[in-house]
Parts: sequence; structure tokens; C-alpha cells
Amino acid sequence: MSSTEQGTSSAAPAEPTTAPESAAAPEVPESFYYVHGKDKVVHKVSAGALQHSALIHGMISNLGYTEEQAKANPFPFENIDGDILQMVVDWCNQHKGKPTPPEDTNLPKQKEKLFDLVLAVNYLEIKELLTYCCKQVAMMVKGKSPEEIREIWMIPTDAEDEAAEKEAKKRAGKEAAGETAAAAGDAK
Amino acid sequence: MSSLSKMPELVLENIIGFSDFRSVLTLRQVCRDFRNFIDDLNDSKLPDSKFTKIEIISEKNENKIILDFFHSKKSFDCIEYSEMENSRKFQEKMTNLENSNIVDVVIQDLKLILKFQKSNLEFLSFCFADFQLQKDSSIHNLPIKLRNILHESNQKIKAKKFTIKAHNQSQIMSVPPFADPETLEFIDLHSFDDDKKIQYDEIIKTEQWKKAQMFRSEFHLLNLNVEDICHFSPCILTTNRITARDLDFLKKTYIRSSKFNFSIFELKNFNENDEISNLWGPAFSVESKLHWYFRMKNCEEKILHMEIFLARYFKCYIIEMNHVHNGAIVHDYNEN
Repeated sequence: MSSTEQGTSSAAPAEPTTAPESAAAPEVPESFYYVHGKDKVVHKVSAGALQHSALIHGMISNLGYTEEQAKANPFPFENIDGDILQMVVDWCNQHKGKPTPPEDTNLPKQKEKLFDLVLAVNYLEIKELLTYCCKQVAMMVKGKSPEEIREIWMIPTDAEDEAAEKEAKKRAGKEAAGETAAAAGDAK
Repeated sequence: MSSLSKMPELVLENIIGFSDFRSVLTLRQVCRDFRNFIDDLNDSKLPDSKFTKIEIISEKNENKIILDFFHSKKSFDCIEYSEMENSRKFQEKMTNLENSNIVDVVIQDLKLILKFQKSNLEFLSFCFADFQLQKDSSIHNLPIKLRNILHESNQKIKAKKFTIKAHNQSQIMSVPPFADPETLEFIDLHSFDDDKKIQYDEIIKTEQWKKAQMFRSEFHLLNLNVEDICHFSPCILTTNRITARDLDFLKKTYIRSSKFNFSIFELKNFNENDEISNLWGPAFSVESKLHWYFRMKNCEEKILHMEIFLARYFKCYIIEMNHVHNGAIVHDYNEN
């Protein structure tokens, strides 16, 4: 056991020189792009880190932006909360050009954050991170009863759901009735 | 906050893929949307339930159907359906089935659970009590409905051993077509009644019968043709009569077979001692048992031991040379 650990730790410093990205670094300086979420806070991220997101990678590979153009045109992700985007950017930076480990234990433990993260990651098409997040959700579901799951994740029962639908319809009906009444009033 | 029920389909699919079988059944109960989503999902995206054995039992006592699902030899989950109370009981939780017929509910539940079973079952066991005479019970429909639903969905159950305990021929015959012939190894038929007779000609045409290797029947097989059962080993059965010619056919098949293990037949009466002596030579007789010994093809040291006891039991198995009775003749292998 110890010998293999030593082996990997001694091999670690050698890694940067063999990685193709760093080998190419002296000639082509790394390009950066800019993203912001709902809070408009702009994050500067390297193209290497952004490779994790199939969505962003697809967008930037056809643009050919200069540094100035990239800075002037940050990608807006209005549907992603600022702190969630921060998490995504941090994860991409940490895992830049590295093979991803089978488990990721640094995911948020709070379910609210986790779900928002899942949605963001799904939208940005970050496959590995989505896998970790889904594993984490599966872990949180394990051993729970349907009632507990409903409570934790605020899922209405079918009966509540139907009642809410009915209520919404009723309200829509009333509004429509109100509008026609108003229209009738106008006509007079 | 984002709710679990608002997750995109790909995400839900991923979550289900990483969940275990129980979690998916739980998620299915959470809400209508989840249930529909899971039921529409391709079976290959569902986790494996990894059961080793499933038992399907109908019981006359209180008109019940019981499903047992084994994770290992000792640990299992049990679902109990009561016709009298019109209920389903699982882990002390009772559900009223209202207007549903319990046989339909059992079949739906079973079908759902089988969607998750990917690894082969070691054992699938059916036990059908006799509900024919109980006019107010619908449980006698269980074998037929089970057969129809599996036939409709063209679903075969992958189990190595099929055990059926029943009262009559139609119950017995409804089951083997469920089996996946590529997985099935052992057909095991048990009878509630002594000396119950069945015609087995319906079953011998099936792929399941041809591909299975082991066979046991407590039912008395009418009009046995040894050619239909000579590929089974072990083969344990009861039948009315067998001729000397039949035994000679079996002997010839067994000595050539590399897979033969043993056969035990219970007979009404074997009265062709003269004929068999003409074919095999005189028997070596000890305490009302008649013995014959034949060398197996391709193995000098292995001996096929044929034994007839009290004109009612025929046994055939392989022994080592040094277990042959002193003074008995060992016939050399002969093509004819």
C-alpha cells in the first residue's frame, strides 16, 4: 500500500511537464472568458476550465474572441444564482485538465443548494459534476419513506397537487369572469 | 428553492440510475409525476433488484396470496394479500384495495417488481392451493392470469430453478412457459395429493422442457415415453410402467453421456424381468435388489449402476469400480 502511495506522490510533480496543455502554454497564452449569473458578478475563467461545460465550450469554440472582445461580452446566465455559479466556476478551476475522481465529497450538503447546483450543472452540461450531484441526491433519498421525501423536498401529495390545480383553475375562471364583467361594464 | 419534482428528465433518470431498487420504489410512491416517469422508463435504466428467489403462494387459509422476495437465503420481504379483508400488507402497513380484484393487484405488483430483476433468480417457486371449488373466490385465476399477462408482454422470467406445487394439471402447465429457456436448468413439480396423475405431452413441446437439464416430478406421469426424459439428469419421477426396452434405451443413452448423474423412477410394477435379463444378461441379485453394471464410454473407471428394487423402484447412478459388488459382472462398453 505505502509503496504505491509513494509512487503516486513522487509522480505528481512530474505531471505538469507531461500534460499537453502546459506543454503548449509557452507558445499560446491561455485564453480567458467571462461569465456572470443573476447577481451580475463577473467571473474570469480559463478556456481550459470551461471545457468541462459542453454548453460553454461549444459557444466559445466558434467565437474566436480576442481578450478584449471576451472581456466586453461576458456570458450572461440569468437563470443561475451568483453563489451557485461561483461553485460551478470553482469546481471547473479545481478540475481543470485533470481526470475527475470517482467521488466528489465537496458538494453542498444543503438540499436547496444541491438542487440549484444540479439545475445549473444540467443546463451548462457539465457531465461529471452532474454525475456527482445525482449520486448525492440518490444518497439523500436512500432509506427515506415517501412521506419524508415529500417533506424534505416540498413535493405536494397527489391530492394536494390536484387541489392546487383546481384552485388555480377556479382563480383563472374568476379572473376571466371578472374580465368579461369589466368588458361588459366598458361596453355600457 | 428548486423542488425534486421539477428536475429535468435527464437528471431524474440519472438519480434513478444511482439509486437502489428500494429507493426507486419509494420515489414511485412520492407523487404521480414520479410514478409515471418511472413506469415509462426503459427497464435497462432501472437498478437491479438482485433477488435470489421469489415465491408466489396462494393459501386457502383466509384466502391469501403471498409474495416472498429473497435477498439471500434468510432475508426476505413478504407482501401478503388477503381476499377476505381485501387488503395488501407490507411491513405491517395495511392498504385497502377498495374495488380492485386482489389477483389483478398481485399480478401488477409482481410485474412491476420483475421489471427491476436483472440478475438471474436462483429459484422461482409457485404454490397454488385448490380454489376451484370455492365459487366466491377469484384466486383460482392466479395461474391463468399470470400466464396471460406474461404472455402479453412477452416477458420471460430468468430463473435457474422453477418449482411448482399444485393440485392439478392446468395449474402445472400454466407455469413453465414463463421461464426463460436459456436460463432454466431445473423443472421441479410437487403435488399436494398422493398419486395424482398428469398428462405431460403439452409441456414436452416447449423450449423450456428441451433446454432444462434437471427434472423432478411427484406427479404420476401418464404414458411416459423415455425419449422425452432421457436428457434430464438428475431425473426423478413416478410413472405407471416402464418396459425392458425403455430401460435398455436409457442405459444406452446414459453410458454415452458425459453429463449423466442419476435417475430414480418409482413404478407401479415392473414385470419384465425375463426380457431385461435377455437384454442385459442375468442380474446380480442381493436382498430382492437386482443389479447390473456397465462400463461408461470414454471412462474405464466409471461404472453405470442399474438397480431394480421390489419391482417398484428403478435407480441408476454412476459409481467407482471399487464399489461394484464382489462377484458381479461388469459389462464392457458396447456400441450396441
